[in-house]
Amino acid sequence: MKLDPSLLAKLGSLPVKARVIVESALSGMHRARLRGSSVEFAEHKEYSPGDELRHIDWKALAKLDRYYVKQFEQESQLTVYLVLDASGSMRFAGAGLPKVEYGALALAALAYLVSQQQDKVGLYVFGPRPAPLHVPPRAKGTHLADLLAVLDAAIADPTTGDDSPADALDRIGELARRRRALVVLASDLFDPDDRTVTALRRLRAQRHDVVALHVVAPEERTLPYEGLTMFEGLEGDHKLLANPTAIRADYVARMDAFLARTADELAAGGVDYHLTPTDRPLDQTLLAVLTARGGPRERR
Amino acid sequence: MTFLAPLMLLGLAGLAIPVVLHLIGRRRARVVKFAALAFLIGSRRKTSRRLQLRERALLIVRVLACIALPLAIAKPFTSCRARGPTVQRGPQAAVFVIDDSFTSGYRLGGRSILAREVEAATRILGQLGPEAEVAVVRASEGAPSVTELSREQLRLRDALLDLEPSARPADLRRALARAAQLLDGSSHKQKTVYLVSPLTVNALPAGDAPWAADGPALEVVDVRGGAALPNLAVTSLTVTPDPTAGPRGIAIVAEIVNHGPTPVADVPVSVEVAGAVVARGQLDLAPGETRGKRFLATMPAEQRSAPVAVSIRADALPTDDRRHAIARLRDDVRVLLVDGDARADRHEDEVFYLEAALRPGDRGEAGTVVTKILPDDLDDVDLGAFDVVVLANVAALPSPRVEALAAWLRSGGGLLVAPGDHVDPAAYEATMLPLLPQSLRDPIDTAWGAAPDERAARALHLTKWEADHPIFAPFAEDAPGLADAAFTKVMLLGPTTATTDRRVLARFTNGAAAMVLATVGDGQVLLYTSTIDRDWNDLPVLPGYLPLMQESVRFLARRRGDTLTKSILVGQGQGLPTLELKKLEVRGPDGLTTVFEGARLDGRPTVRFGAAERPGVYRVIGTDGTGATRDRDELAFAANLDPRGSDLSPAPPSVLPVSGAPGTTGGKAPLRRVELWHAVAAALLALLVLESILIQQKR
Repeated sequence: MKLDPSLLAKLGSLPVKARVIVESALSGMHRARLRGSSVEFAEHKEYSPGDELRHIDWKALAKLDRYYVKQFEQESQLTVYLVLDASGSMRFAGAGLPKVEYGALALAALAYLVSQQQDKVGLYVFGPRPAPLHVPPRAKGTHLADLLAVLDAAIADPTTGDDSPADALDRIGELARRRRALVVLASDLFDPDDRTVTALRRLRAQRHDVVALHVVAPEERTLPYEGLTMFEGLEGDHKLLANPTAIRADYVARMDAFLARTADELAAGGVDYHLTPTDRPLDQTLLAVLTARGGPRERR
Repeated sequence: MTFLAPLMLLGLAGLAIPVVLHLIGRRRARVVKFAALAFLIGSRRKTSRRLQLRERALLIVRVLACIALPLAIAKPFTSCRARGPTVQRGPQAAVFVIDDSFTSGYRLGGRSILAREVEAATRILGQLGPEAEVAVVRASEGAPSVTELSREQLRLRDALLDLEPSARPADLRRALARAAQLLDGSSHKQKTVYLVSPLTVNALPAGDAPWAADGPALEVVDVRGGAALPNLAVTSLTVTPDPTAGPRGIAIVAEIVNHGPTPVADVPVSVEVAGAVVARGQLDLAPGETRGKRFLATMPAEQRSAPVAVSIRADALPTDDRRHAIARLRDDVRVLLVDGDARADRHEDEVFYLEAALRPGDRGEAGTVVTKILPDDLDDVDLGAFDVVVLANVAALPSPRVEALAAWLRSGGGLLVAPGDHVDPAAYEATMLPLLPQSLRDPIDTAWGAAPDERAARALHLTKWEADHPIFAPFAEDAPGLADAAFTKVMLLGPTTATTDRRVLARFTNGAAAMVLATVGDGQVLLYTSTIDRDWNDLPVLPGYLPLMQESVRFLARRRGDTLTKSILVGQGQGLPTLELKKLEVRGPDGLTTVFEGARLDGRPTVRFGAAERPGVYRVIGTDGTGATRDRDELAFAANLDPRGSDLSPAPPSVLPVSGAPGTTGGKAPLRRVELWHAVAAALLALLVLESILIQQKR
């Protein structure tokens, strides 16, 4: 089953939506766990088909001439920082959900999942507000409701303006201090100063796990408008009267180049990058993130 | 500019509409809140200037359209003097007289005069309407006559458009008379002759009016529009033999005329012989001046006939800037020498010097074939086989021989009579007078009784010769080769005979005639009053003897009408001897060929080539009984334009017939209203189309 983002938006409260997304994404899976890379060795186990080859202990093979697989145990508790870009540009909706709402739903689902794992999850929402919204990571049962309420408020806030994700990411780095964490950013990465990619790579260099959900509306990729159009910016008072037909080809080329450049640079920096169109079903987006993080696995 | 409905100009207030629409159009643009504005701005920078220009162009087009609409409805018009004739539509009879002479090929303002004439005539034809009966009369000489008026205006229009300049001059008087005849047979009350012409003086010389005062109305369309039509033309070309340029030498004399109001300098003139330019020159011409230019040339080797053309730099009427002729070397002159004092010693022979002079070196190129006989042999020769007979010291002939000689002389022969010791004036008086321009008297001997050292001083010399006569053409004015000759004995002359055109060409220093020329029928006789050898003078050993004798014989051999230049005018015919040929083709300069064969040729001594329609050289190609075909150069001829047509000066208005309703030849032309709203409406339409295109591009 696919969760159409527009249909999902019509469901009830955000907690319900988050649970629906998670359950839809994990239906048919026997294990659902969001993992970081901060795990510890536990024991050896003889290799059996289906085990990951990367975990084979080659030294043991040399000594014993048998295949053993290293088994790891995650740290006792994973800390996840969910970072939502609520700047003006994320208010763009196109024909589907506003980008900010799409990002919030994805992060809500992740919060739900992490909460189910008894791991700590925190939230950081930055945008045009005088001060960003910050929910410190906790693993209490009621914490999820508080976090989702803050997300709900961020979606509902119509304020538009400009803010750079780079500052928010640097702030996360400070908050996490030396403790390794999983940082998930939902943003359109429109940064006039082009500092966001650098900030993400810096976080990764600090040994945090970093996931970037690059939220893009389909209209931003194809510019499907016709006729004389007055384009109004969502950050600032910029306006532009243009004939989309005349500039479409050049615009699409620029946008594709931006997306390709961002993906390449983040991948080179070890960031888990996901191009996330707002018309893609949210369960697929969640599944893509989980798959990239090493789970869940299909039930055999 | 004036308006029929000026109130409609209030609609100009609508000028504000496009401005408002333009502003509204900007507001009506769809508004989209967009996140990736930075990418849009980068893309649009390229196209924004083009879009802005397009928007401004659209605004301008709309403003102009809003101006054009009330302007068109207000029906603007203006007035101007009518340049053409007054044309009334409806039932009527009309004749267009179109000057299609070669002068209509004159290029004025980038177009030929004929093109202007045709444009004016077709415009008037359209204004006359379908009920008018119309005819088109061409004014060039020899143009076919129109027999009736016609309502088939499409055919008439096609006939007008098909007109091309003829090679003949115009005869407007004949054409106008023909137009009047055609109109005379019409039952319409309104009868008009439209004379469409540059009205040159050559086309309409002063003369009787083509119709009386009650004739048709005359409307004149002067296509020259008052402009002067300067024109240079080659109006004459003659080719004559010129011994100073050698035995094949020819003198080419061309006349060039400046029919313009301003002097022209350094007019280049070039001469072509057999298609190759052999001489060039320049000359200056004052307004209206005619000047001749003389060139010397040589006929090409092995050719006895060649086309000659003289050209000047092409001007607005290039047709008359070139003239053609056929230069033809005469056949050898056949000379019969009747030797009245034959001697065994050749140097003592009476005709020794003359024979040597006529065939120097006995070369074939001398141009003469000499036959020598004694007087008694005269009965045995066919005089018709000779061009010239020389009686050298021949005693008086009996009457029958004189009669035979006289008949031959009258038929075109040439006779040279030179006295000597065997000539008895009394005997000549008795029988020879039919052959002489004057009777003879006893000779005088200037050396008689003189001491040897006085003989030279007493000798007579030639003087007062007619330097302009062809016989003396080779000589300079003082001509020492002639003047130095000493004559010790000369025959005196008596009364004139029954001959005509008697002229004394040269005299001696004592006043006695030395050379007397007279005409007998078609022939000519030249009486030389001293001996042809050295007995009475020393001329035979002086340089002047040879050219004098050669020119005398050639002159006497020149039959009446036989000239070197064979040329006719365009429009004239040419008689051609059939020469017992089986087929005769005349090929014109335009490639058209006229063939004479079968019944058109058989048994006829001559045929007549109808009319040369184009200037240039007409080749004649003959096929003889054996089937051999070759160019008959001796029959080729050239056709040239009538030089009268080259004068394009305007004819005075007084030569035009005055009758019926006044035309545009006099008085002030009437004012004509010119509607402008059609043009404004067309502009409006164009603006609307342009606006649609701009809008389409904007989308």
